[in-house]
Amino acid sequence: MEHILSILIFFPALAAIIGFVVEKNSIRAYGITVTAIELILSLVLWYSYDGLNPGMQFTEFLPLIASYGISYSVGVDGISLFLVIMTTLMTMISIIGLTEKRDLKHLIITVLFLEMTMIAVFLVLDAVVFYTFWELSLVPMFYIVGAWGGKLRIYSTIKFFLYTFTGSLIMLVGMLYLGYVYFQTTGTWSFNLQDWYMLQLPFDVQLWLFAAFFMGFAIKVPMFPFHTWLPYAHGQAPTIGSVILAAVLLKMGTYGFIRFSLPLFPDASVYFTDYMAILALIAIVYTAMVAYAQEDMKQVIAYSSVSHMGVIILGTFALNVEGIGGSIFLMISHGIVSGALFMLVGVIYDRRHTKMIKDFGGLALVMPKYATIFGIMLMASVGLPLTIGFVGEFLSLLGFFKVSPIMTIIAGLTIIFGAVYMLVMYKRSFFGPCNNPENQKLEDVKGRELVALIPLVALVVILGVYPKMILGPVDKSVTSLIELMHTKAVLPSTKTTLMQLNSIGEVK
Amino acid sequence: MEKYLYIALFAPLVGSLVAALFAMSPRTLFTGIFTSAMLGVSMIASFILLYSIITTEQIVHVTMMDWISIGNLSIPFGFVADQVSVTMMVVVTLVSTMVHIHSIGYMDHDRSFNRYFSYLSAFVFSMMILVMSDNFAGLFIGWEGVGLCSWLLIGFWYHKEDMPKVKDIKKSPFSTLSPYSSISPGYAANEAFITNRVADLGMLVGIFLIYWNLGTLQYDQVFAEIGTLSRGLIVGIAVFLFIGAMGKSAQFPFNQWLANAMEGPTPVSALIHAATMVTAGVYLVIRANEIFTVVPEVGYFIACLGAAVAMGAAFMALVATNIKKIIAFSTLSQLGYMFVAAGLGAYWVALFHLAMHAFFKSVLFLGAGNVMHATENEINIKNMGGLHKYMKPTSIIMTIASVSLAGIMPLSGYFSKDIILEVAFGSHTYILWAILYITAGLTAFYSFRLVMYVFHGEENFKKFGYHPHETHSYVIASMIPLAVLAVVAGALSKGTFVEMITKKLPELEIHLSHSTANILIVITLLIASSGIAFAVFWHRKYGTYFSGKMENSFIYKLLANQFYMPHMIDNVLLKPYLAMSKLAWKIDIHVVDNIVDGIAKTVYIIGGKSRVAQNANLSKSLLTMVIGLAFFVVLGAIYGFAK
Repeated sequence: MEHILSILIFFPALAAIIGFVVEKNSIRAYGITVTAIELILSLVLWYSYDGLNPGMQFTEFLPLIASYGISYSVGVDGISLFLVIMTTLMTMISIIGLTEKRDLKHLIITVLFLEMTMIAVFLVLDAVVFYTFWELSLVPMFYIVGAWGGKLRIYSTIKFFLYTFTGSLIMLVGMLYLGYVYFQTTGTWSFNLQDWYMLQLPFDVQLWLFAAFFMGFAIKVPMFPFHTWLPYAHGQAPTIGSVILAAVLLKMGTYGFIRFSLPLFPDASVYFTDYMAILALIAIVYTAMVAYAQEDMKQVIAYSSVSHMGVIILGTFALNVEGIGGSIFLMISHGIVSGALFMLVGVIYDRRHTKMIKDFGGLALVMPKYATIFGIMLMASVGLPLTIGFVGEFLSLLGFFKVSPIMTIIAGLTIIFGAVYMLVMYKRSFFGPCNNPENQKLEDVKGRELVALIPLVALVVILGVYPKMILGPVDKSVTSLIELMHTKAVLPSTKTTLMQLNSIGEVK
Repeated sequence: MEKYLYIALFAPLVGSLVAALFAMSPRTLFTGIFTSAMLGVSMIASFILLYSIITTEQIVHVTMMDWISIGNLSIPFGFVADQVSVTMMVVVTLVSTMVHIHSIGYMDHDRSFNRYFSYLSAFVFSMMILVMSDNFAGLFIGWEGVGLCSWLLIGFWYHKEDMPKVKDIKKSPFSTLSPYSSISPGYAANEAFITNRVADLGMLVGIFLIYWNLGTLQYDQVFAEIGTLSRGLIVGIAVFLFIGAMGKSAQFPFNQWLANAMEGPTPVSALIHAATMVTAGVYLVIRANEIFTVVPEVGYFIACLGAAVAMGAAFMALVATNIKKIIAFSTLSQLGYMFVAAGLGAYWVALFHLAMHAFFKSVLFLGAGNVMHATENEINIKNMGGLHKYMKPTSIIMTIASVSLAGIMPLSGYFSKDIILEVAFGSHTYILWAILYITAGLTAFYSFRLVMYVFHGEENFKKFGYHPHETHSYVIASMIPLAVLAVVAGALSKGTFVEMITKKLPELEIHLSHSTANILIVITLLIASSGIAFAVFWHRKYGTYFSGKMENSFIYKLLANQFYMPHMIDNVLLKPYLAMSKLAWKIDIHVVDNIVDGIAKTVYIIGGKSRVAQNANLSKSLLTMVIGLAFFVVLGAIYGFAK
């Protein structure tokens, strides 16, 4: 068990290299086996994880460039644990549901490499190594969109790469500077996150560093107004690309805020709360409206992702256990639900080679199973209680209510606008008579598609009814995160704000 | 007793899940029978609980497991069967069981028979969670659950296409004279869901306020500590909770979805949109009476809104020819009565009327279902007539239910409605009383207008070639218990009910002298019976109620167009929202994204332009070098001086 995290990180990469010699015909089985083993490994990790211990577990440490304090350092806590499991699960599901025929071998090898980078991002505790994997994750995705995408794939993938890369570079400058500040303060170099957690930064330095990290994370999330790469990327990406992008890659940004911004810059986080919330509100309301105007099914879901990511940011910057815990839960649930929705769009696209809503209508008549699964995911997406979507949304809004009731009411429009664009899309594609002769003979979901989708349906219900298995460890780690922020804050006002946000008391 | 609580709660879920297994297979009678049996089990368990609570006064309270628990928040799956919830449980399961049995006949030929029963039982399960939960979050689960099932069932015949929005009042889907209940079932379903979501946001805010001020969502703790909060805050909580209630109970301005919900199968309307779900808002106010009692001004507002809705809906029912919409307006109107009672602090009266209303209204709807079945899904009452001869049992049952609805002594409706009028009078809110009084007359009139048009007079259906016939006997049998309750429930249960319920809910605090009360009863009965008499005699004499001249009047059109509310929703909300959304999309592409591309292009162009510098010409390179060097020297000098 000592090296389980390293195994989790490097097993997919190793398997990808071996994948080059695997025969073409058996590559899918190979891919599924590898990702299934990886999923089991992550479940073993969960099983051995001590839910009562809020700190980093299964830590490993290996100096890389000792003179500059750069090391390979990994660890898992309640915040990253479920993101890792969600990543391994969604990767496996997306490979099971894969229908791509062109260059399947290359695609699967690319996805396996991608899996490595994604898991590493959630587990690595050294800023430089984190940054390395963070950027490395762009390469497979760049390749997936660029090679297997739609008509505009080159434009989209370059836009995706350059946009997120630019943001990350600014973040890198911030990281280097923070390492330098650490050197100046303590006399030794270190890029280890846990060392950085010990460091109290002056308020103005926090503001600058927060801004630098913000650029990296906000573009990745993506937050308004940095979101325009996402519709292109989703619009052009093949189904597997969209699934992984929506389920996992976006979560890197919100994870970054929780792992880096909040504990490293507590005063700046409190200072910027309102600004972050305003951006989140714009994302929630404005992109929900843009989603409603879409004529392409996939774009509806793409924009809805931006809208939901706004709720996640809002929960994170509630700066209380309820809000941050809710935002982590929402990351998991959004990963599962949006992944499933993108797969569902892929199912109909494979059959009809169109995603335009106007080409459909009355699909529920010809594809009842498909309509049912879509309906369940829709309800999870609009946050119906007892589905996975409710818990995170409820907690995020509940948490932020303590910060600002007015802003929460505006953010709460998500439950209305979300229902509007999803239900109207559902009505236009699934209800009504099935007049288009091309739709009348459509085949219902079957075989592999069902194998991929049914586990997600089950999770949507199970985690909606019993979210405690995730919330338990999350609660512990987030509580200790808040304590860390409280100890590290340099301004007394920050300490009072944090105390106040985390206690029951008069709210108007 | 815990055992019975779990049985009552989970039997409908078992039924629903089993029926769901058959959702994709061809119609099988088994699903109908099994779900009905499960409902029967649930009903028996509810009655056992009721009996036990009446006799022993032992409240059953269980906590099954934790649901959400993080930070200071802890929400369990907790259920309670106290006097209030057990009343609701009995009403819900009793009506549901009968509606299930009725549906076996009604949905007989529908190819989605199995799916229907799965949804219907799922609804009952959600409703049970709603009324049995011991905390606000659990209530919200049920609240949204019934919303989902309502969406599924209103849109049950989702394959129908959208009707065009035409100006002709006889064809417009927005008018109550047309053969369409709304644009399409899919549209009506979405409208119901989204309207309720708007109200749910209000409810969520109420829940957030409760949590952050009291640190808990458990009813008993919240109600015990609510007094410690400032007055403004309690008003806020009460208002936001009531906004949620307004959505579910279709109070203005959230009323339009209920009339359009008539797109669903008629037994669904009987169960969901008459007897149970729409009364959830009333239940919430009754349940949270400890909050509303502290702030009587909010209660007064509730009462005023209720009275306005009661009268407005009754007016719309006067002219409508859509049989289901008449009954839907009547439901709306009666919900208004309940809110008047609840708003004025007569919580048990509201609950009592809720129960009585559930009986006579559900059977009225089921009867309407029989009539529609007999006339090939005709919904225009003017196209029926003289059906009494062909379907006597239905005719008799519907007439009885209408008498009960009109509030004629000694039927159930009389007992519950009369106290509401007494409460309004006794609370010195004479205007509210007057509104309800007039509405009582209108209610009697439009109910019998319906009965007369459908069952008596000329046999208009012959023009359409319908061959009416009475439905299956077991369908009638399922209606008889409800009809009997619509007659005797008031007289038999009032004493016991009051004794039981006042252990939980506050007693009435109105002081009417005996003689005043008697006068009130007499004049109320007078207006109700004259409403009936007028409807009957006018129809006997003229065969119709509104002359051609009246039908062209503004008032008539206003009422037939439902006060133009569907038009307003369409033009003021839906179209502008779509236009704004399209604009937002344009902004996204042409402004936000163009800026991003603009920055990228600028970098690209600068790169292209500065490429000239790299032309391998040594002298030019030297020149650039010198200029650069000079620039930095000057910059350094300025910096040095400035320091």
